[in-house]
Amino acid sequence: MTRNLIELLVLYQDLDLMLKETAEAEATMGFEMEGREKLRKAMDDIAKNISPRFLRTYQRLHTRFKRPIVPVQNDVCLGCFAKLPTSYGEKGRKDQMIYTCEQCGRILYWVE
Amino acid sequence: MKITELVKILKPDLFIPEMQSGTKPAVLEELVQPLVAGGFVRSKGLVIETLSKRETLGSTGIGKGVAVPHCRTLAVSDLHIVIGVSKKGVDFDALDKKPAQLFFLIVAPPLDGNNLYLPVLGKVVESVRDSKLRQAMIAAPDFGSFLKAIQGG
Repeated sequence: MTRNLIELLVLYQDLDLMLKETAEAEATMGFEMEGREKLRKAMDDIAKNISPRFLRTYQRLHTRFKRPIVPVQNDVCLGCFAKLPTSYGEKGRKDQMIYTCEQCGRILYWVE
Repeated sequence: MKITELVKILKPDLFIPEMQSGTKPAVLEELVQPLVAGGFVRSKGLVIETLSKRETLGSTGIGKGVAVPHCRTLAVSDLHIVIGVSKKGVDFDALDKKPAQLFFLIVAPPLDGNNLYLPVLGKVVESVRDSKLRQAMIAAPDFGSFLKAIQGG
């Protein structure tokens, strides 16, 4: 499936968080979780489609933040709550480009 | 979490009384569709892919005709529950191998402010334990009847 860069990065982070949350869900819900290795492999496959430059950016941010990609709501970065320039939103919703918060450096994702 | 709190999250627009899909991938797609129609997701494909990958961890078909596909994804900004009923049932790789008829799709953002995701998941699983209520939910012709059933008939 062809995806743009930001969607690949978001998917990568979603799966990363899913793996971390697995242990808790397994304990409370009793679902089978035997597929962790398959999920790790799926993450590796996704990583192959992300340019090394952006993957390095993601991984560098991950050493500082639990979630390197954060949503934007009302032109506010929900990672550090800094107000973003209005022009960011106009571009960020349409473009396939990567935009980062000027204050905290996290990658921004416009949900709406 | 109380059942009344769970009910408050449910929306009539996110209720599918008669699902048409016959396969697991098609079920996920049909369940995500009302979220797309309601403008609750930026990318339909991203949600479906995250849900599909979640299934690789182990099927969310919990048995007794119930499946609870769920995931956290940045593609949504709030927690949503989509309920679907399949009269004929769909093979969902359930633990007991029985076809699933009752689907609760739960999606939530990673930054879930009220921390509802796991309590909601737990309450949904608890609400389908009773066989009579489960059957009433499956037989519910509309959202109002479903709400009555999930709250104990």
